[in-house]
Amino acid sequence: MNEIKKVAVIGAGVMGAGIAAHVANAGIPVLLLDIVPEGAANRNAIAEGAIARLLKADPAAFMSKAAAKLVTPGNTEDHLDQLASCDWIVEAVIERLDIKQALYAKIEAARTPGCAVSSNTSTIPLADLTSGLPESFARDFLITHFFNPPRYMRLLEIVAGPKTDPATVAKVCAFADVKLGKTVVTCKDTPGFIANRLGTFWLNLAVGEAIEKGLKVEEADAVMGRPFGIPKTGIFGLLDLVGLDLMPHVQGSLERALPKSDAFHATLRDIPLVKTMIETGYTGRKGKGGFYRLNRENGGKVKEAIDLSTGAYRPQEKAALPELEDGGGKDLLALLSAPGAAGRYAWAVMGRTLSYAARLVGEAADDVVAIDEAMRLGYNWKWGPFELIDKIGAANLIARLKADGEEIPALLAGAEAKPFYRVENGKRQYLGLDGAYHDVTRPDGVLLLADIKLNSEPLMKNGSAALWDIGDGVVCLEFTSKGNSLDEGIITLLGKATRLVKDKYKALVIYNEGSNFSVGANLGLALFACNIAAFGEVEKLVATGQKAYQDLKYAPFPVVSAPAGMALGGGCEILLHSDAVQAHAESYIGLVECGVGLLPGWGGCKEMLTRWQNAKGMPKGPMPATSKVFELVSVATVSKSAAEAKEYLFLRETDGITMNRDRLLADAKAKALALAENYVPPKPKDLTLPGPSGKTALVMAAESFHKRGIATKHDLVVASALAEVLSGGKADHIEPVTEAQVLELERANFMRLIKTNATLARIEHTLETGRPLRN
Amino acid sequence: MQTYQPPLRDMRFVLHELHGSESLKDMKGLEEVTPDLIDAVLEEAGKLVTEVLAPINMAADQEGCAYENGVVRTPKGFKQAYDTYREGGWNGIACDPEWGGQGLPASVTKFIEEMMCSANLAFGLYPGLTHGAYIALKNHASQELKERYLPKMVEGSWTGTMCLTEPHCGTDLGLLRTKAEPQDDGSYAITGNKIFISAGEHDLTENIIHLVLARLPDAPKGIKGISLFLVPKFLPTEDGRPGMRNGVQCTGIEHKMGIHGSATCQLSFDDAKGWLVGEPHKGMRAMFSMMNSERLSVGTQGLGVGEAAYQGAVTYAKERLQGRALTGAKYPDKPADPIIVHPDVRRTLMTMRAYNEGCRALSGWVARNLDLMERSNDPEERQQAEDFTALMTPIVKAMFTDLGFTNASLGVQVYGGHGYIRDHGMEQYLRDARIAMIYEGTNGVQALDLVGRKLGAHTGRYLRAFFHPVLNYIDAKLDDPDLGPLVGPLGKAFGALQLATAHIAEKGMKDPDEAGAAATEYLRLFGLVALGYMWVRMTEVALQKRGAANGEAAFYEAKIVTARFFIDRLLPEVAALWGSIKTGKASMMALDDAAF
Repeated sequence: MNEIKKVAVIGAGVMGAGIAAHVANAGIPVLLLDIVPEGAANRNAIAEGAIARLLKADPAAFMSKAAAKLVTPGNTEDHLDQLASCDWIVEAVIERLDIKQALYAKIEAARTPGCAVSSNTSTIPLADLTSGLPESFARDFLITHFFNPPRYMRLLEIVAGPKTDPATVAKVCAFADVKLGKTVVTCKDTPGFIANRLGTFWLNLAVGEAIEKGLKVEEADAVMGRPFGIPKTGIFGLLDLVGLDLMPHVQGSLERALPKSDAFHATLRDIPLVKTMIETGYTGRKGKGGFYRLNRENGGKVKEAIDLSTGAYRPQEKAALPELEDGGGKDLLALLSAPGAAGRYAWAVMGRTLSYAARLVGEAADDVVAIDEAMRLGYNWKWGPFELIDKIGAANLIARLKADGEEIPALLAGAEAKPFYRVENGKRQYLGLDGAYHDVTRPDGVLLLADIKLNSEPLMKNGSAALWDIGDGVVCLEFTSKGNSLDEGIITLLGKATRLVKDKYKALVIYNEGSNFSVGANLGLALFACNIAAFGEVEKLVATGQKAYQDLKYAPFPVVSAPAGMALGGGCEILLHSDAVQAHAESYIGLVECGVGLLPGWGGCKEMLTRWQNAKGMPKGPMPATSKVFELVSVATVSKSAAEAKEYLFLRETDGITMNRDRLLADAKAKALALAENYVPPKPKDLTLPGPSGKTALVMAAESFHKRGIATKHDLVVASALAEVLSGGKADHIEPVTEAQVLELERANFMRLIKTNATLARIEHTLETGRPLRN
Repeated sequence: MQTYQPPLRDMRFVLHELHGSESLKDMKGLEEVTPDLIDAVLEEAGKLVTEVLAPINMAADQEGCAYENGVVRTPKGFKQAYDTYREGGWNGIACDPEWGGQGLPASVTKFIEEMMCSANLAFGLYPGLTHGAYIALKNHASQELKERYLPKMVEGSWTGTMCLTEPHCGTDLGLLRTKAEPQDDGSYAITGNKIFISAGEHDLTENIIHLVLARLPDAPKGIKGISLFLVPKFLPTEDGRPGMRNGVQCTGIEHKMGIHGSATCQLSFDDAKGWLVGEPHKGMRAMFSMMNSERLSVGTQGLGVGEAAYQGAVTYAKERLQGRALTGAKYPDKPADPIIVHPDVRRTLMTMRAYNEGCRALSGWVARNLDLMERSNDPEERQQAEDFTALMTPIVKAMFTDLGFTNASLGVQVYGGHGYIRDHGMEQYLRDARIAMIYEGTNGVQALDLVGRKLGAHTGRYLRAFFHPVLNYIDAKLDDPDLGPLVGPLGKAFGALQLATAHIAEKGMKDPDEAGAAATEYLRLFGLVALGYMWVRMTEVALQKRGAANGEAAFYEAKIVTARFFIDRLLPEVAALWGSIKTGKASMMALDDAAF
C-alpha cells in the first residue's frame, strides 16, 4: 500500500476543512468528519457547514468545481467505518490531548493497518500524543503541521516519532510534496516545531519592544517589514491578519512546554492593550478592528491605526523614519546600527531573533536550511534567518550580541569567519553543525533554474530575458524584466530562441521563477509611446509580437510553457501559442486587455476562436465560438487556478498541472522531451466567422449591458472593437478566414483603441493604482 | 530709441484669427467677452502703456529707487503712474468679480501684461506681484482673510509680495529658517530675514501685504515643513484701514544690473503678526499655485522686452545711413543706404520678429488653456488644459526669457556703439531682460522641472496635450500644397522631439544625471518645435486671408514670409540640439571637480 488514494480529515474547523479542500484539489477523494452536534437533526451539519464555507472562501479554497465534489461530509459517530478505505487520516480537532487521544483510539479501531495517521497539532509534542497508544498506532503516526490557508501556504512541517515507520513517513511526504505541492520540512519533536516557535518569539519581541520604545504601529511595521524582506504587513499588520486572539494560545502552550532556561520566556510580556483588545472583540480583520482598521463612520472610509499608548484610534500615518528614507533600510547592518528609534528597535528585535534561530539548529531542526525554509514558506519571509545573518555578517552580529552581554550560540560562533551559505563548484552549500559545508539537496525530480544558474552561463540574454541550457537538448527562455512584463527585449529574444533551438536543440521551455509568469505587455512603455504620439512604434511592437508568436507556434520543435502565478494578456497569449502547457496549479490565466481598454493583439483572439471552434460539444455554426470568446475576453476573465483555466480553454484538456512549484520545470521539460519524439508542427486552421451580422449581435448584447448600467461608455467602444475582430470583420461565413486575416483585424482594432484618450486614461489609472478605471 | 507701440494688430491676429476668441464666450463667466469688447480693452491698455508707463521708463532706470531709514522711494513719476493705473481699474482686470475684479480671461490679460513689460518692466512688477499674492490667497486663505485683504488688493490700494528667499537659501527652500510661533489669538509671530523681495517696501500704496514662508515650531525638516503666512505691513483696522505698524522693516535695497525702478528689498521680520494661509506645513503647495502663474508672467516679461527691443532696432535700421547695399545703392538719393538693406541686419531683425511673433502665438495658446482649466464645463477638457499648462510653464518661462535676452542683445547690436551707450535705451532692455532668466526659478531649474517633473508625470500624460494635437495637425496638413513645404520640416523637428523625449525618458530613468545633462537643450528643442507649430498654424490662417484682405494684405504677407524664415533659418537648430542631447552626459561630467 504505497500510494495514497483516499484521505480522511477529522475535524472540520478552519484548518481541517482547508486541508480537506486541498486534498480534493489534488484530485483525491476525501472524507471530512466532525462530531454530531447535540440534538441536531442533520448529523453531518458541522462538516456540511464547513464545506459551504469553503465554497465561499476568499481566496478560494477549491481550485475547481470538480474538486469540491470530491469532499464527502460525515460525522464521527456514523461514518468511522469508512476510515477503513482511507490511506491517510488527518486529525485536525481541538488542541486538547485527552480529546485527541480518545479519537485516536477510535481511529485505531477503524483504520486498516498501514494507513497513515497524522495530527495537525501546532503545539503538542508527538511523544505526548502517542503515549499510551499501541505500538501499531505509533508506527503509522506522525505530525503533519499545515499552515493557514492550507491551499496557499507552501510549508508543511513534519515530525516523526522514534517508532514511526520510515515507509509511512516517506509515503506521506511524497504525497504532500507531489500531490499537495507542499515543501516538507522535517522537524524534531519540540514544542511549536520550527516556524511558530521562532515566529512567535519574533512577534512577541517585536510587539513588546515597539511598545517599550514608543514606536507607532506604522513605524514598527515599516522597520520590521520591507527592509528585512518580511511582508509589508510587518508585525501589527500580520497580527491583524491572523487574529490577535490566536496569539495567547500559541504563547501559552509554548510557555508551558519550553524549559525555563529557554530564551523564549524573556519575550513574554504582559501587554494590557492587547488583552483589552481581545476581550472587547478587537481581534483584527475578522473582528471589530485590530491595530489598524477602516473606519466607516459617517459614511466615510478612513484608514486608522491604534495609538499604542492610549489604545485610541487615530488616522493612519506614513511612517516618517529618516533611517528608511532615500533608499535607507537596504543596508541591514547600517539599519541595525542606526542611532535613532528605528535602529534601536530593529536591533532589539532582530538581534535576538537571529540569535535564537541559531539556538534552534540541532534542537528543533537538523540544519539551517530547514529553519530558513520554514520561515520563508511559513511566514513569507523573503530571506530566512541565516540568509539574513549572511547579509549582516555573522561577525558583526556576534560583536553586537557580545556588547549586549548576550551568550553566543555555538553555531553562530562557528560562523564568525564564514557564511552560512556558499556556492562551491556550482552547488549551493550550507554550514552544518559539524562546522563543515554540505550540499543543499533537492528532492528527486526537483529542477530549479536558480540551481542551473549557479553553474552555467546563459546561452543568450538581454535586459528583459535570458536563454538557458537546461540539459537533454532543452532550452529554457526566462523572462527577467520587471513583473516579467513583455517588451521589445523579450520579443527579440523569443525570435532568437526560435532560431537557436531550430539549429541546435530539441525543444523550448518558457518558464521563470518570478512570482508571476508574466503580467502581460509593458503598459508603461506603451503608454509613454502613445503619449508622445509614437504610434508607429507601438504598431511595430504589435506586429513583431504577432510574428514572434506565430513563429513560436509553427516552429519545427515543440514549445512548452510553464506558468505559475499570473499569466495575463500577452503572457496568456504565449501559452495559447505553445504546443503544450505545464502549469503550476496556482496559475491565474486570462486575457485582461479589455480592462485597460485594449484587446488581445498578439494572436489571443485568433487562438481562442480556434480553440472554441474546435471544442467538443460546441453547437454548429460560426456564432457560438465567437460569442463564447467575446463573453470571456470582454469582461477580462481570469482563471483562479490552472484547473479553472481549462474550463475557459486558456489551457487545453491535455495540458498538465503540477502541484509543487519546485517540480514545475522538471515536469515541463519532461513534457517537452516527450513531444520532441517525432514532432510535427501544427497546421494552420482556417476559421469560419459570422461577419458583420455577428458583430451587430455582440454589440447589441454589450449595449444592453450598458443600458443596465453594467457596462460603461468606453466598455462599449472596446466591446465593439473586440466584436469586430471576433466576428471576422467583413467576413462572410461561407468563406473561411485565415489566421493572417484575424491577426490583421487584431492589429487594426488594437491601434484604434490605443489612440483613444479613454483607453490611455485606463492604462494610466491601472499603472498608478493597480485597479481598473471604469470610464 | 525706446519707440514702443503696442503690436495691437498682431495681438488681434493671435487672439481672434489664430485661437478663435469668439468661442471664449462659451466658457463659464465669459458670456460677455466678445471680440469687440476685447479690442476695446486692448486699445485702452495700449493707450495707458504708451501715454503713462513708457515715457517714464528710461528716467526711472537712471534714477532708481532710493532707501533711507527703512523707507523706500520709487523713481519720479511712479506714484502718479500707479495712481492712474489703479484708478483705471487695471489692477483687477484679471481678478474674480467676487472680489471686485473685472474677470477678464487670461487670453486677453496676458497681452496687457506683455504691453506693460514692453513699456516699463520695472513698473509692472508692483501690480504683477500683487496679482500673484492674490492668486495664492484666493486659492488657499480662509474666508476671513480673503474678505479682509482681497478687495483691497484687487482694487490696487494695497500691494502684495512673496517672501521666499533668505540670505542662505534661494533655490533650495528646504533650508529656510524664518520661524512662526503660534499666539493665543490664533495669529503667529514671524521672525526672520528675507532678501530679494520685489516690491517689499515702496511709496506707491498705503499698505503692503507680505506672503511669507516660515517654519512652525513642530515642523518636519526640509521642504515638507514650510508654511505660508500673511503678514501685513500695517495691521488693518476693523473698518479696513491700515492701522498699527507691524514688526516688519525694510533694512535695505539691492543695487542691481537692471529693473532699477523695482525696489528689491531686504526685509526683517521681528515678531511680526501674521496669519496662516492654507494648512500647516503645506506652504509650498500654496506658494506653487502662485509661482506657476508667476512663471508664465516672467515668460511674458521676456517677450515684452524682446518686442520693445525689436521695435527700437527696426527704427534705427531704417534711419541709420551707412554704406551701400552689397548689390549696389538702394537709396541713391541719400548719402548712404539705411542699414536695413544688409542681409545680416535683416537676419537680425527677422530673427527677433520671428521669435517675438512665435512666442506671442504660443503665449496665446497657453493663455487659452489657462482659461479652459479654470472655466471649461467639461472635466476632461479642464484636465487636458491643466496638463498642457503644467507642461508648457517651464518652456514659456525659460525659452521666452532666453529669447527676450537674445533679442535685447540683438537690439543693441543693430545700434552698434549707439546701442552700448545709455542714450538710446537699448542697453536698458538688455539689463532689464537679464533678470527674467533668473528669478522665479532659474532657467536651469525650469529645464529640470520639465525633464524631472513634467516629462514623466503620469507616464507622460502631460506630453499628450502637446504631442497629439501637433501630430494630428502634421498628419492632416502634410499633403497640403501650400502648407506642405512648411509642414515637412515641422514634421522632422517633431520627430526629433519624439526621439529626444523617448531618449531622456529611457536614460533619465536609469541615471538622473543623464536627464539633467539633456535638460536645457531639450527645453529649447521642445520650445522651438512649439514655435514651429505656431508658425505653420499662423501661415495657414494668413494664406486663407491674404486674398480677401481689406488693405491688410501686407500684414498677412509678412506673416507668411516670417514663417518661412522661422522654418528655414531658426527651426533647424532642432537637429543640432538633438545631436547634442544624444551624446549624453559623458563629456559634461567627466572632469573632476578639482580640475575646474
